[in-house]
Amino acid sequence: MKKTFTRIFVLALLCFSAFASFAQNTTVKGKVVDATDKQPLPGVTVKLNGGNIAAQTDGEGNYTISAPANGILVFSYIGYTTLQENINSRTTIDISLSTASAKSLEKVVVVGYGSQRRRDVTGSVGNVSGAELSKQPVQTPTQALQGKVSGVQVIGSGQPNSQPQLRIRGTGSVLGGANPLYVVDGVLTDDIRNINNNDIISIDVLKDASAAIYGVRGANGVVIITTRKGKNGPAVVRYDANAGFRQLSNKVQMANRQQYIDYLKDANPSILTSDAAPLTTPGTTDWYDAVLKKGLQMSHNLSVAGGNEKTTYFFSGGIFKDEGLVKTNDFDRYTFRSNIETKIADNLTFGTQLSLTRSKERPVPLDGVYSNVYRAAPVIPAIDDNGLYGNTSLWGNLGNPLLGLNKTNNQTVNNRVQGNFYLEYKPIKSLTFRTALNTDAYWNKQRNYSYQFNADQSTFNVAGGQQFNPFSSLFVQNDQFFTTIWDNTVTYQQTFNKHSLTLLGGYIQEYSKSDFFNGRRRGVPESEDTWYLNTGNPEVGAEYFNGGTLFKRISYVGRVNYNYDGRYLFSASIRADGSSRFREKFGYFPTVGAGWVISQESFLKNSKIISNLKLRASWGLLGNDNIDQGLFVVTATPNLPYFFNNSLNLGTAVQDIKDPNLKWERTEQYDFGLEYGLFNNKLTGEIDYYNKKVRDALTQVTLPAFLGDPDGIYVTNAASYQNKGVEFSAKWSDKVGKFGYSVGGNISYNKNTVIGLNGGQALLGGGIGNQGNITRTDNGQPIASYYVLQQTGIFQNQAQINAAPTYNLNGYNKTIGGMMFADVNGDGVISADDRTFSGSYQPKYYGGFNIGLDYGSWDFSTDFYGNWGNKIYNGRKAFRANGSDNVQADYVTNRWTPANASNIDPQVIAQNLPASTYFIESGAFLRLNNLTLGYTLPAELLKRMKINKIRVYATSQNLFTAKRYSGFTPELLPSSILSSGVDLNGYPTTRTFAVGLNVEF
Amino acid sequence: MKTIYKNTAIATLTAILLGTGYSCKDSLNVNPQGEITEAQFITDPNVAANLVGGIYNIFFAGDAFGNDVRGFQYTILGDIASDDADKGSAPSDYGDANAIDILQANGNNPVVNNIWKGYYQAIARTNQALAQLQNAQFDAATKNKLLGEARFLRGMFYFNLVRIFGGVPLLNRVPAASEANAPEFSTRATSQAIYQFIIDDLNFAATNLPVITNTSADVGRASKGAAQALLAKVYLYNKDYQNALAMSQLVISSGTYSLLPDFTTLFRQANNNSRESIFEIQAGQNLACNSSIDRFTVAQGPRAGGKNGWVDRGYGFNNPSLSLVNEYEAGDVRKNATIITVNPSNGANSVGTILFDGFRIPTKDSVENSRYNYKAYYSRTAEPNCGNNDRLPKHVMIIRYAEVLLIHAEAALQSGQAGLATADINALRTRAKVTPIAGIPTLQQIWHERRVEMAMEQDRFFDLVRQDAVQPGRAAAAFAADGKTWNATRALFPIPQQQIDLSGGNLKQNPGY
Repeated sequence: MKKTFTRIFVLALLCFSAFASFAQNTTVKGKVVDATDKQPLPGVTVKLNGGNIAAQTDGEGNYTISAPANGILVFSYIGYTTLQENINSRTTIDISLSTASAKSLEKVVVVGYGSQRRRDVTGSVGNVSGAELSKQPVQTPTQALQGKVSGVQVIGSGQPNSQPQLRIRGTGSVLGGANPLYVVDGVLTDDIRNINNNDIISIDVLKDASAAIYGVRGANGVVIITTRKGKNGPAVVRYDANAGFRQLSNKVQMANRQQYIDYLKDANPSILTSDAAPLTTPGTTDWYDAVLKKGLQMSHNLSVAGGNEKTTYFFSGGIFKDEGLVKTNDFDRYTFRSNIETKIADNLTFGTQLSLTRSKERPVPLDGVYSNVYRAAPVIPAIDDNGLYGNTSLWGNLGNPLLGLNKTNNQTVNNRVQGNFYLEYKPIKSLTFRTALNTDAYWNKQRNYSYQFNADQSTFNVAGGQQFNPFSSLFVQNDQFFTTIWDNTVTYQQTFNKHSLTLLGGYIQEYSKSDFFNGRRRGVPESEDTWYLNTGNPEVGAEYFNGGTLFKRISYVGRVNYNYDGRYLFSASIRADGSSRFREKFGYFPTVGAGWVISQESFLKNSKIISNLKLRASWGLLGNDNIDQGLFVVTATPNLPYFFNNSLNLGTAVQDIKDPNLKWERTEQYDFGLEYGLFNNKLTGEIDYYNKKVRDALTQVTLPAFLGDPDGIYVTNAASYQNKGVEFSAKWSDKVGKFGYSVGGNISYNKNTVIGLNGGQALLGGGIGNQGNITRTDNGQPIASYYVLQQTGIFQNQAQINAAPTYNLNGYNKTIGGMMFADVNGDGVISADDRTFSGSYQPKYYGGFNIGLDYGSWDFSTDFYGNWGNKIYNGRKAFRANGSDNVQADYVTNRWTPANASNIDPQVIAQNLPASTYFIESGAFLRLNNLTLGYTLPAELLKRMKINKIRVYATSQNLFTAKRYSGFTPELLPSSILSSGVDLNGYPTTRTFAVGLNVEF
Repeated sequence: MKTIYKNTAIATLTAILLGTGYSCKDSLNVNPQGEITEAQFITDPNVAANLVGGIYNIFFAGDAFGNDVRGFQYTILGDIASDDADKGSAPSDYGDANAIDILQANGNNPVVNNIWKGYYQAIARTNQALAQLQNAQFDAATKNKLLGEARFLRGMFYFNLVRIFGGVPLLNRVPAASEANAPEFSTRATSQAIYQFIIDDLNFAATNLPVITNTSADVGRASKGAAQALLAKVYLYNKDYQNALAMSQLVISSGTYSLLPDFTTLFRQANNNSRESIFEIQAGQNLACNSSIDRFTVAQGPRAGGKNGWVDRGYGFNNPSLSLVNEYEAGDVRKNATIITVNPSNGANSVGTILFDGFRIPTKDSVENSRYNYKAYYSRTAEPNCGNNDRLPKHVMIIRYAEVLLIHAEAALQSGQAGLATADINALRTRAKVTPIAGIPTLQQIWHERRVEMAMEQDRFFDLVRQDAVQPGRAAAAFAADGKTWNATRALFPIPQQQIDLSGGNLKQNPGY
């Protein structure tokens, strides 16, 4: 097959050259490769400048062209920078074409329901190539985006299969969700953990009002993912693999036996007198060592791409495995993709892009079991040689975390089909009708089993305590989710003289339905083969639930793009969105943008310094309807039990208060940007200023009790937020002989402020045990600001205590070695009224920079990511479950003792220690995100083996982090937006070492 | 061939146009899935009966540490705040309950807000039911019975609110969400107006509700006797002794109720809905195991698991006070049926404390507290449950025949028919195995009898405040005997500050807070 194709190609080329060889032509041969990954590029057009002679590269990137010895060859390929090369009488000319986005102004940017040349875009659109993403050994494209695009903050986690949080230009919502909309080949979704990084050709991020083309879902920005397609040419087979391990990147050292006992002498002396056994048995337990492991991580990907003039195809299969760091944790993902496009007729194209994903995960319960590791007493062994567990709860401590992990067996299996079928019809050249049926469907199966065990000597080395599970239990849940989106668009594109016009009209219909069924039973036997509900006790503790959601959207879009002479750009769009989530169905989301390509003006056209300069501005309205369906519909609560004459009576209540006028959040955004390219585009970059205001933000408002609402809150449009900021990016790339290098970076500044609560209450979040809610979202402050007491020192003596204000702090009293707080309101009493705003997790600055070097067959790249100006609340330290909790080793060393007059660390951290600035630490960090060294085997060597390319590489993800924070990691995946930055049970950050292989036939 | 493509394309385009053409408005009207909308619900012929059933469920709707009507939060006010009990548990546990115990709570105390929210949720459910009952297509008798049940419950809810807070906002209909800021609902009515409202509700209930005996199929529902008994109590609180006497006499004369001969088993599961019971909360075992008051028993259960705070049978709140212990006469069987006493260690001969079901509490040296509430105890082994210890199906007594006798005795004494009181008091004393009094009891003797009979049933605080209105100085002395300082501003609990804030200041705080 491959041979036949090659023959046809060569034949075609020969014919071509036969026609063209009038002059004294020489035959020029060569190979065209991708500048980044050195892969051959098939289908590149090689053209003689000013002539009609042209050729294309074959499957191996080779071309042959007959041309005058003094001619100039032009190499062009969609998505790559066009290159001109003087022949200078050479007969072999090898070319590297570059994809670097900043460099390639001709590059096509996907802007939603269409694409544009980068230079014609009036909005702020970030772009990352698939090659950038796939070189990192991470699961999700979202994680791989970290540090690559200005204005895009990625908060990741080392936990397998966790979904990184993305904030495009700050946090714009509390209830409606702050993550952007993802669009995968036209499928709108909120979760892209099913996408294999190796299948992605590029990611475009709509950061400004240009996202308004997605209307009521565009408020948080849009991330558009385009997957690979085949090209006209012989089949190209690629195999990409890497394997390595993950390890803990930063361990928090807990107090050892002696430090712990020393601390308890002050914190909880009674525990030391009550039971001597653990105190007399030697040995200290490092619980993190007992519970963590080194995890295997690997990925294998195989793809085939190719096609002919009528049909192109891309098939791929991938395996991804990540065992994580916590014992019993495990994750496997299998991905399959088939992207096919065929021309039924010259003007009619049919295609399909389908992906199938199956993932299987054994998760670990972070909030219960794992968070106990921090507090587990080092005087108790984790497990002994006989397999008996240390009895932590008998010691008055929390449950043994290792036992907790081993006595649960949870499993989640997810099957997902995502993709589309589309038909494109071009009755005339300038007109395109497109209809696409997109679908996203998944089936989840969750199964959680808890083993039965007693607090006796068959489980523990000493019997007793509170850690036991009297009944084994099984929880099973099946979820189904099904969405279809039917897109219909008409595009008219015409160029006349210097005018270029593109018109788009469209109609989109969306239907989404989900439901779940779950059940719980006790007394299910231990063998995995019996883990079905039927084997459990049907009489006691059995539960079944079933529920679902349904929503629909109907949308109309229209867009006009106009440019004059490539100098003056204008665009406008409107989307009318109807959503079933609100009583008032339709909203209208317009945007306008304009650009001026100054470098195309006559006075700059011939500049040696400035190769590209563009000013642009945009304005638009966007929406956010990301809340539950039916929040405005009053519902009844049935099946409320009561007994009459010992028989069950089921009553009903109508009690939840709903806002009948609920509507979507409205975001208004301005953007002003400057794009530049200097010194023949060796230095490129962008500067943007934006101002984004969210109004009618969905908020939970507290209701007076007389309305009878059970939780006393309802969802309504009450708050307003603002994010404004500046983004800057720059990249220098050049090649000196065989040495190519690039240095790039981006930095973003963002200021987030709550600008109105519409008479509502400040929103409270970030609950930590006895300390209560520690974040407050209030006027004039960033979302989820810490609202705590100000620590001013430690009481060193009785005189200081006598001089200090009275304490009214829920049982926390003034003691020597205890906390001294500021009397902020000056009322002579230290109370909850003295709390003040003390920073938030939202960074002032964030960004990344990267360096790429290549020399001959060697390539090296590295990138860094960091943020500055944010704060973390060390909730692990602040949350005390009981008086026997362990503490950090550094705290024991630094804490106040009569011999060590600390003015920062109190003598003890007790359960009733109020929330204060003591627990607030800097969140600034700079992390070496990825470091890769690759070597490509010499082509001559491979040619004999009929292999196009072999590259081997070694890579490390997250090699080191420079940080001030004393916890595991400053990158904290929030459980909710209102508890951002509160570190309670985050998964430890992982460092990955891996070796990899890229092979191409 | 080409024409086929063209036709296909044209057909596709037509489909697109048709797609855009169909009515969008209707297709976007989507109901929440798996939920019954109000619009669907009100077409159900049983809507009113279901809503009345839903009111009773309010007792189980809350949370031991959240919204509450007649569970642990109410216990903090009725028992812990009084001279009968102390907060208990570990000293550092639950500072908010401690603030109530030592009478130093203010409007920011969550307990009062939990109670306020619980009761207004209960009243909202009642008003919803009453609104639907007006439209219900029942025969008059059925309708009046359901109306009577709802109004009995509403009367009871307001009676507790007025005892806790004094005058409160009076709602007799369902406000709309848009009325959240209406001063009408956030301004306090006078306590007289509330009492008149309660009396109207209970009178309606007493007139329209049927007699329900403890063998009837309607056991557990509000009955004529329940309405009369509660009404008698309301009259007593209003010092309307004539009506209190008349109402309690009606209950006594009905012959529907009598004292259970053995006081010591009165609060066990076996004696649920005994002949002494007039109205009690009907917990039970259902598959979902949610038909009982959340942690009512566990919160008050003996914290008996040994050192280091092992909780075992419960959290150990609401400990009977020494003042209560001292109130019992020697030989009164009610003492050991009301109070679990944790015995001190006796070396090798220690037996601890053995409860009726055989459960052994260790000796004092390894138990957090000295005394626990036996009336709130529910055996996990000898009494049935559905497997969730937080939801033990404990019935909670609201009003029983013994209390009617006490009301009758006090009302008789105060209305100049003191002779009637002797039989009432001696019926209780005889059962308690203490010497009957000779002749006519004094007010002090009736109040003593009331205290020991009704101890740890969440009534003492309100009763003591009531007694103080009859005999000023009484409450301060009783609290002083329990080591607490009481003054007249502590007759009522503080209005929750959150509700004051939400009312825009229309809701006014009680004096002294």
